[in-house]
Amino acid sequence: MPTLLADTDVGSYLPILLLITMAIVFAIANLAASNLIGPRRTGHVKGMTYESGMNPVGTARKRFNVRFYLIAMVFLVFDIEIIFLYPWAVTFPNIDHAVADGAVWLGRILFFLLTTVVAYVYGYRKGVFRFD
Amino acid sequence: MIEKIGALWPEIILFAAACIVMVVGLSPTAAVRRLCAPLAGAALIVAGIVAWFTTPAAHGPLPMLPLFGKTLVAGVGVLLALLLAGTPDREYESAIARGATGYDPIRANRAEFWAFFLFSLTGAMLCAGADDLIWLFLALELTSLPTYIMVAVSTGRNRSMEAAVKYFFLGALGAAVFLYGFTLLYGGTGTTRLFAPAGEPSIASILAAQAAGPGINAVAMTGLVLSFLGVCFKIAAVPMHFYTPDVYQGASSAVAGFLAFVPKAAGFFTILILAGAAGWWGSSPVDAGGSLPQPLHQIVLIVAILTMSVGNALAVVQSSAKRMLAYSSIAHSGYMLVGVVAGPGPANAPYTSNGVAAVLFYLLSYGVMNLGAFAVLASLERRRADGSADEADDVNDLKGLCATRPLLGWTLVLSVVGLLGLPPLLGFWAKLPLFTSAISSNEIGLVIVLGLNSAVAAYYYLRLASVALLESPELTNDTVRSSPFPARAVAGLASAVGIVLLAAWPLNQWAMQGGRYQRVEPLKAAEGTPPARVDAGAPAAR
Repeated sequence: MPTLLADTDVGSYLPILLLITMAIVFAIANLAASNLIGPRRTGHVKGMTYESGMNPVGTARKRFNVRFYLIAMVFLVFDIEIIFLYPWAVTFPNIDHAVADGAVWLGRILFFLLTTVVAYVYGYRKGVFRFD
Repeated sequence: MIEKIGALWPEIILFAAACIVMVVGLSPTAAVRRLCAPLAGAALIVAGIVAWFTTPAAHGPLPMLPLFGKTLVAGVGVLLALLLAGTPDREYESAIARGATGYDPIRANRAEFWAFFLFSLTGAMLCAGADDLIWLFLALELTSLPTYIMVAVSTGRNRSMEAAVKYFFLGALGAAVFLYGFTLLYGGTGTTRLFAPAGEPSIASILAAQAAGPGINAVAMTGLVLSFLGVCFKIAAVPMHFYTPDVYQGASSAVAGFLAFVPKAAGFFTILILAGAAGWWGSSPVDAGGSLPQPLHQIVLIVAILTMSVGNALAVVQSSAKRMLAYSSIAHSGYMLVGVVAGPGPANAPYTSNGVAAVLFYLLSYGVMNLGAFAVLASLERRRADGSADEADDVNDLKGLCATRPLLGWTLVLSVVGLLGLPPLLGFWAKLPLFTSAISSNEIGLVIVLGLNSAVAAYYYLRLASVALLESPELTNDTVRSSPFPARAVAGLASAVGIVLLAAWPLNQWAMQGGRYQRVEPLKAAEGTPPARVDAGAPAAR
């Protein structure tokens, strides 16, 4: 029988409760302390947009082409693909050939890659990469 | 793992077809783009044939459910492909044909629509074959997520967008509820596997062991109840039914017909799988037959009664045919839940007392009959002032249909009379086992409510039939005309033929096979260690 949530003691969750309480108290205490004892100086430089120490150039509310959104979506497909490739690449050299068939393992990941290729072809046909 | 893939060939075929359709549908040549629907239909036929020959599940309480469910989804899917002809991009394509605009793939939706259609059916098939909670959740979502987009692009009007947003947010709520139920079920049993070979831990065997011993624990029971209530969204049952009329009305008739069958089928497969995992144990695990474990049994019973009563009562007052069919879809979910309450009956029970087989056969019949009614609505349209066409929706649009368009008119009459359950037609042979199985499991109160509801349903179904059959056609400026897609009428005709002939074909024997129930053996505790409480605080105390 596996260990069940229903059978575990509620008391074993006490440390988590303690941690949550600490986090809340810490946040509130910091806000209250900086409000009470912090200095209050205002001015032009203090109110300026923070851009890693540089003087800000222009407005941040620029419009950019909506196609970047589609590019980001296509990027996401390959990003996720690579995330899934890592665990496979780490496991593949170490598989036990008595239990698992290497060709099948390779076939599976190739099938997975094929699905992303389909996504790429779809994006290409949809005209995501056309910039005119 | 490999043997699991062996049972998944129908889904793999549909998935591959969806990938092909997604690319083919973006072709700049109109003739190539039009291949989407035939490709989808061909893939469904092949998947249905393959599903017919897949091996049944090796273990679990309903071993034949995957086989039956996948074949059913593919079979009705072929008719749905006919019904959905011409739905996506209708005005855009006609503008291209007129030469008013060029083809811009970014504005077209046809490829996505057909790919999502196939993905949704893939999800419904995966639901039927699920043996793990995570698989079940992903399959349910794969069924639902494409449907939101299919609703949004179905007409190109704002009301479809509104319907899609409503459907999406309520769908997310439903998903959250059953996902929470799944986590509690995992917490209450310690595994996500629903079914496993004898002797290995699985939700079914652990729940059986709990039921045989101290009773199903509160966490697992809460999980079962929440999962059921969440899946009520998919089948449009009462606490989660509010979206149904608005979404069906906002979507085009063809997509509404799709929504009335595919998510419902996936939802009922899920409910049967979960109920099978909980087991129709009865008061003691030793007796044959019996009912679902107690609080769950009571809740399914209440939901069934409320669903059919609310659905039928509200359908009576509708003047829009689509809303009427939406409420009728709610009511039919209630009827089918009667079979879930009744359960499969004792071992080797005949077809008449097997509630699971009754549900499966009803699902098939409902799919065919409902498709006929929606196909008629999708085949009619009204011309608007600006020359564009709106699908027929008002009951008055159907006046004198048998006189003006006899084929569509008689299809409608057959469909609604079938849905009503008049004796020689398919609906009667579907409803009968629901009654008999509920009687044989001693749910007399439920049978009475079912009978009363069937009588109430007669009022609005016969109204639809009499409007088409008896009243004379109305001749006004905005005349009702046929839609330019004959495939929709063919879908309606096919289902009308099905309503008359399928009852004669021994399909109920097939449903009987699909509803075969085998008891899951309780999981024996490992030798030496009793299945005692695990005290996390005191691991050393033994």
